[in-house]
Amino acid sequence: MLPDVTAVRSLLSGVAEAEAECTSLGVVVHASSGDAVAILAALKSSEFDFAVLIDLLGTDLGDRVEITYHLRSFTRDEDIFVKSSLPHGGTLQSASGVFASALLPERETAELFGLVLAGHPNPKRLLTTEGQEPLLLRSVPIRTVKEVRDG
Amino acid sequence: MSPRAAEHVEHTATGRMVFDVGSQHPSTHGLLRLAIETDGEEIVSAEACLGFLHRGIEKLGEHRRYHQLPTLMDRGDYLSGIHGELASALAVERLRGIEVPPKAHWLRSLLGEINRIASHMAWYGTFGRDAGVTSHFFYSMRDREALLDILEAVTGQRMTFNYVRPGGVIADLTVVAESKIRRFLRTFDAHLDEHQTFLGGNELLQKRLRGVGVIDRDSAMSLGLTGANLRASGVPYDVRRDRPYAAYSELEFGIPIGTTGDAMDRYLVRIEEMRQAARIVRQCIEGLPEGAVMAKLPKALRPREGETYACVESPRGELGVHLVADGSETPRRFHYRAPSLFAIAALEQMLPGTLLADAALLVGSVDIVPGEVER
Amino acid sequence: MNALLSSALHASAALVLVLLNGVVLVFMLRRMIGRMHLRRGGLHAGPGGVIQTAADVLKLLSKEGTRPGGVNRWVYAIAPMAVFVPSLVAYAALPFSETLRITRLDTGLLFTFAVLSVVPLGVIAGSLASASNRALIGAMRVVARQLACSVPLLLSVLPVVMITGTLDLGDIVNYQTGLWSGAFPRWFAIPLLPSLAIFTTAALCGLDRTVFDIHGIEPGPESGLAGEYSAMRFGLLCISEFGNVFVISALAVTVFFGGWTLPFVPLDLQSSIGPVVFLIKTYTLVFLFLWTRSVLPRVRTDQLMDLGWKWLIPLSIVWIMLVGLVVKASLPGTVV
Repeated sequence: MLPDVTAVRSLLSGVAEAEAECTSLGVVVHASSGDAVAILAALKSSEFDFAVLIDLLGTDLGDRVEITYHLRSFTRDEDIFVKSSLPHGGTLQSASGVFASALLPERETAELFGLVLAGHPNPKRLLTTEGQEPLLLRSVPIRTVKEVRDG
Repeated sequence: MSPRAAEHVEHTATGRMVFDVGSQHPSTHGLLRLAIETDGEEIVSAEACLGFLHRGIEKLGEHRRYHQLPTLMDRGDYLSGIHGELASALAVERLRGIEVPPKAHWLRSLLGEINRIASHMAWYGTFGRDAGVTSHFFYSMRDREALLDILEAVTGQRMTFNYVRPGGVIADLTVVAESKIRRFLRTFDAHLDEHQTFLGGNELLQKRLRGVGVIDRDSAMSLGLTGANLRASGVPYDVRRDRPYAAYSELEFGIPIGTTGDAMDRYLVRIEEMRQAARIVRQCIEGLPEGAVMAKLPKALRPREGETYACVESPRGELGVHLVADGSETPRRFHYRAPSLFAIAALEQMLPGTLLADAALLVGSVDIVPGEVER
Repeated sequence: MNALLSSALHASAALVLVLLNGVVLVFMLRRMIGRMHLRRGGLHAGPGGVIQTAADVLKLLSKEGTRPGGVNRWVYAIAPMAVFVPSLVAYAALPFSETLRITRLDTGLLFTFAVLSVVPLGVIAGSLASASNRALIGAMRVVARQLACSVPLLLSVLPVVMITGTLDLGDIVNYQTGLWSGAFPRWFAIPLLPSLAIFTTAALCGLDRTVFDIHGIEPGPESGLAGEYSAMRFGLLCISEFGNVFVISALAVTVFFGGWTLPFVPLDLQSSIGPVVFLIKTYTLVFLFLWTRSVLPRVRTDQLMDLGWKWLIPLSIVWIMLVGLVVKASLPGTVV
């Protein structure tokens, strides 16, 4: 389930500035947003064989948006999480060149967190219509029952 | 001009046609719109246009207590509500460190498998409709009806169950429900053989499915496919076996895998999964332990700050819930991995190059539920 | 005047027959498929489900006919008639008994095939007029299918013509009266079994309500021609489809199953019950056609083309040669 943290660290030391730690989530690699795609590619082609991008999600941390990439290796049955941070309205570099499975989740994340998608073959909105505010930002409120009732 | 038209017949040059399939169309299994561009009968490109069912489940989850998350997950993949509930309950339990009584584990497996058969039956019915058969649909609905009846007897609901909660399940198995399950198990294997002979044993259907919509092992992995779609491509990965949850570590079941990854393999894998699911149901009914079904929990759950990911094997693949807690009564971030989302991406890659006549069949073969994709 | 009146009566009789036949087939379909599909509702509306059929007919008649925007008005309105009329005319040469038939044609067999092959014209006209790419692709498939299946359909009955030496449907039936070696009915279905097999397969391709229903209205992204039609215009297309099932079954009965005749029954009795026998035989075949429709999946266009052009046509040509050799060898110098 958990890959060896020191092995991950030594693998990544040759790729980019990144720190790996073991948290309640599992092994998490923190990277700068510019290095994220390179780190994903390195993890994919390493001996860990993280061949699958299981999931991709954004989290609004208040001052910035954190993007979490969730990778899995079927051969060793291990998971690793790569996290990178972007400012609000920042540019999300597409990882679809490395993992085709990032195609749709990236569009969704960029749209729902108000990010700009770069390097994506089809950087359109996925779920909501044009002009809709980024719904998953914490600054966007949901309407209370009273507000809904009063229109 | 199409490359196929001869040079000298410029006036009869063929143009490309755009078919807007959906959003309301019997072959789209919900509200999925496919913009398909064709050159004659051949599909040149396909794009899925989503969003018709976006209800903001993730956003709502951030404003709900941890107890309430399963209720939201029911509305995601509405064909297999138990699995959604289970994934969110597992995530909360992992985050808070809740010990679930053994009987609840077994009931979760039991209901999960019953729900899996019900969901696969709905897929089986609609998939055959895509191939142009009608009769089998009503037989699949007959079996699904029996299963929904069981689910109703246990949970009180036919589709949005709200049954699995953090800490266990809300109700024990009643005598009536148990006898209903036993009655169902008596006939199900024979019914499944009947289904398999009728549809899968039909040579016309086999000819249509063999070699169509092939996803090889590598592209299945790079597209992030899970569940039956991945196993049909020859990757023997099943969350139930590889990361056991509920009572699966104590249960015996086989994991069917395919070889070529074409539509026929996906069909066969799902049919065999139903058989294995019935086997698990039988074991659960026999081995159900005694005891409580719900752990004692405070009214409001306040997990410590942290993050977790819990996944289950839903009928459509790996359904994972990613929770970020900030120490309050509501999650900071509630996200779920929808296996159908990745199947739709695979569909976009798979459709170009095939015939328009196969489009509906391929949409059916990857078994998507738009409600789950669009959150 | 008398001749005019007589032909007018014949024509209206044919029309009533076609419409009634449509109703009867809807009733059959409801009951049969109701049983097969576990859809019991239709079986219990009124005695034997009669009210259900009445409701179906009333619904078709009373629905508002809508016309989508952007269609070519005239062609759109005429096309259902252009599909319906040939199906109606195809009844003309069918011999219900020795005497009961709408008209007697020396080339009855050829006439029926010729008329049925006009149907695709109406289909393609309607689809072009509908201004819908779905209808167009559906209609293109119908035409491709008709081409692939009407040729083997026609070739498959040639051996019968070679043996009997006539195209008159009545004479073909008369040829089949009596018994072979006192035990087997002299039906062509027995010696010409391959012909019957080719005929049935090709007929399944040609009929809309079957396995080869590739332009179907239902799940495919491309609905057939009928997709853009509503109310009675749709009803006409529907009745035409039903009518074609009946005509093809009636042809099969006439050519391969001895038409209105029955073996082991005295001749004078046969003439009185002839039409009943004919209808019973025909509806039995119709039942078989509808049965396949409800249990088998649809065949893809290219597979159907393969079947028609690469299998049925060569097979029927080889079979015609074989039958020709046998006919020539057994009766040198003459056609029977």
